Amino acid sequence: MTNKSDFALEMIDISKSFGNTVALSNVDLQVKKGTIHGLIGQNGAGKSTLMKILSGLYPSGTYTGQIIVDGKVAELNSALDAQSIGISIVPQETTVADTLTVAENIMLPEMSRNPLKVYKKSGVVKRASEFLSSYNIPLQPDKLASSLTLAEKQILMIARAIYLQPQVLVLDEPTSSLTGDEIKNLFEVTRTLKSLGITTVFITHKMDEIIELCDSISILRDGKIVCQIDRSGFDVDELVSHMIGRDLGDLYPPQHRVGQDAPVVLKVTDLVVENPRKPGQPLLEPFSFELRQGEILGLGGLVGSGRTEIVKALFGHYKILDGKLEVQGNPIQTRSVSESISHGFGYITEDRKAEGLFFNLAIKQNFTASIIEKLTRASFLQKGEEKSRARVYLETLQVKPQDLDASVSSLSGGNQQKVVLGKSLITDPSILMLDEPTKGVDIASKAEIYKTIVEFAKAGYSVLLISSEFPELLALSHRVIVFSGGRNVGEIASGLENEKELMLMAIGATKS
Amino acid sequence: MAIAKTRELSESFKASSIRVAFLILVIGVFAMQNPAFINGASILSVIQGMVFVGIAAVFLTILITSGEFDISVGANAALAGTLAAQYVVAGEGVADDRSPWTGLLVGVLVGTIIGLINAFIVLVGNVPSFIATIAMLFIAKSLATYIPGGKPISGYRDSWEAEGIVFRESFFLKNFSIIVLIVIIIVGHILLKRTNFGVVVSSIGSNKEAARTSGTQVKRVKTILFALTGAGAGLAGAVSVFHFGSIYFSLGQGWELTAIAAIVLGGTSLFGGRGSVIGLLFGLALMQTIASGMVAVGIDPWWQTVITGAIVLATLVVDQLRRKVT
Ligand SMILES: Nc1ncnc2c1ncn2[C@@H]1O[C@H](COP(=O)(O)OP(=O)(O)OP(=O)(O)O)[C@@H](O)[C@H]1O
Ligand SMILES: [Mg+2]
Repeated sequence: MTNKSDFALEMIDISKSFGNTVALSNVDLQVKKGTIHGLIGQNGAGKSTLMKILSGLYPSGTYTGQIIVDGKVAELNSALDAQSIGISIVPQETTVADTLTVAENIMLPEMSRNPLKVYKKSGVVKRASEFLSSYNIPLQPDKLASSLTLAEKQILMIARAIYLQPQVLVLDEPTSSLTGDEIKNLFEVTRTLKSLGITTVFITHKMDEIIELCDSISILRDGKIVCQIDRSGFDVDELVSHMIGRDLGDLYPPQHRVGQDAPVVLKVTDLVVENPRKPGQPLLEPFSFELRQGEILGLGGLVGSGRTEIVKALFGHYKILDGKLEVQGNPIQTRSVSESISHGFGYITEDRKAEGLFFNLAIKQNFTASIIEKLTRASFLQKGEEKSRARVYLETLQVKPQDLDASVSSLSGGNQQKVVLGKSLITDPSILMLDEPTKGVDIASKAEIYKTIVEFAKAGYSVLLISSEFPELLALSHRVIVFSGGRNVGEIASGLENEKELMLMAIGATKS
Repeated sequence: MAIAKTRELSESFKASSIRVAFLILVIGVFAMQNPAFINGASILSVIQGMVFVGIAAVFLTILITSGEFDISVGANAALAGTLAAQYVVAGEGVADDRSPWTGLLVGVLVGTIIGLINAFIVLVGNVPSFIATIAMLFIAKSLATYIPGGKPISGYRDSWEAEGIVFRESFFLKNFSIIVLIVIIIVGHILLKRTNFGVVVSSIGSNKEAARTSGTQVKRVKTILFALTGAGAGLAGAVSVFHFGSIYFSLGQGWELTAIAAIVLGGTSLFGGRGSVIGLLFGLALMQTIASGMVAVGIDPWWQTVITGAIVLATLVVDQLRRKVT
């Protein structure tokens, strides 16, 4: 018999369906007190659903099974109930109140519990700043949340959850919009919490993070727990094959050659991009590069190094202050998105929540949204053609469920990302700009997406790739140009062995 | 800390100073045309003109900050005022009349019930609040017309007259409606800006999921706000009967648009997340000044509505531009 205090939490025989979709069936999850427990599985395996049940976001009665927290049966009807027994969650989706300050967001749970207490801005800011500095969290408490970057918002959500002083902390893919140092910081914080006896459930698709951080893991596949493994049994290949139910094979497809004689598709000369936060000011020093037909060109750097702004400027979102752009040898401008699309640019956003998807529409309509004009004849939508065009991408990208009519809001995070990808591929762009294309995508689907990208380039299209996952960037790109400290600091050849060099250049430790 | 404090002050001053400057400008323009525009009597009439819709708009501002709407405030006021009047002048003669004070309670009660029904339809029936409250507007308006048979109800204060209380000679009674407006504005402002509740309301309007994840019972908070909005509208109707001594079913007609225009002019976001009750006060003053001013300088009534609409539009555009810059 186990002592009741051995487990911080037990979820017993949990089942939940959404209509006809079975998200979880008879799931048992046990997490020992004071450990960091990994929860892994493919997109749509049911990880987020399980954790939403645990944190009260799916109230008791919308699923079957039992939750036992610290030896006591818990009936959770809201996030408030979960918080009051010490469970707090950082959900996968970005949920931050933009019109509030950082401090107000952090203190929101507390304020919500004491609605009639007097609110004093200065007091809230002061307490938040004390809390933030005690955990070394680099956020300014009196800043408006709307001015934060995606990564900062993620950090804000983590701060909000920790501020509640939980006994069990649930982190649902917290690292998917973070990079290097931020992830290191998060791990530090998680270990500090562990030393205080706090239990963490940690969801990720990145195996190296599991190996580095977790004491044990549970693997979910198709709504069922496949197995639970302790740290001593961690073996990446084995974990992955448990996750996907087969051996993965090669993650990265072989690279094709692009000759020096391949025509230059995009030529950028002394480009100056406007800083979106400071109108009229340049974001980076002028830079130049060439992109050849069939080439995958990586843009390397840390988050905030300006890579996203560069591709957004090329896509007509931000202003270009100076410099020359040539596509197929013809000088062009990108003053608006439609102008940019007409020159053959396609763009896949890193922020699917804010600008990537129509959440209340079906998968089908999301795929075809940008080609709707091609699908209409005499102003009538050709439904048959809409379907067949969409089905191609539903299949190649292995979206789950394989149902064109499913609404995008019902998809798991990783599957939403696949829809974002398909939505842009379908426009047949000659220059595809990918900003974190595999964010939140599981490893088997990653392999699929890599194959799709490489096939796309092989067919004679060109790709600009941004990724914070350096191995991915180095394995897919033919070469990587690196931005650091507001300028282009050089170029690195393809190949996983160059990861360290890329890192050093990105943090500005070497000069070109 | 001192820095945060001064920044906070200077921010709110900057936001409101633009509005106050604009208001003074408008008053100045009218006064140049017709100096009589700034004498005591006409200022009082400006204030009196915005009192009732103002009372109804305060909690509506907070409701809109939470991301919901209530179009039925005017009709609610009409029905609540009518029922209040019927309750007070119930019997055969003056001797049967109830105290005018009790009518205020009836008005608040009726308004609250209407607000709760709105909340039920929106939150349990999952109907968008814009549509649900339009339906309520029609229902309440019809009842307010039908119940008194389309006739005005008068004699609300007859019992006081019989006792020798002269309404017009009591400073307190004469200005009671203005006092109610001032009190409700102070209450609303404190609720929105000086309590945790106000921050929670803004968070709901800004991002419902963020609020939910933070442990906020979103539906409970919204129910309270619908009830408060209803109560405010009912109070506005009852205070109107109280002030004029009678009520006609057309009371409250068009309030919804005036209220929403004043709320927007005051810097509250129609998308939720950001609201200001002090701003509302400014918005009301501006709307009413323009309305009275146009009468004072003799602008064609047809044009008055057009000009009002144009000013609301201009404010919206300025508001959008300002938001883009920051
Ligand atoms: N609101 C919903 N309505 C309908 N189906 C849903 C809903 N939420 C989740 N599902 C379905 O339940 C299954 C499990 O989804 P869940 O979000 O838990 O996956 P996940 O393991 O977190 O995946 P990911 O790694 O992509 O985040 C999926 O098939 C998904 O489509
Ligand atoms: Mg998930």
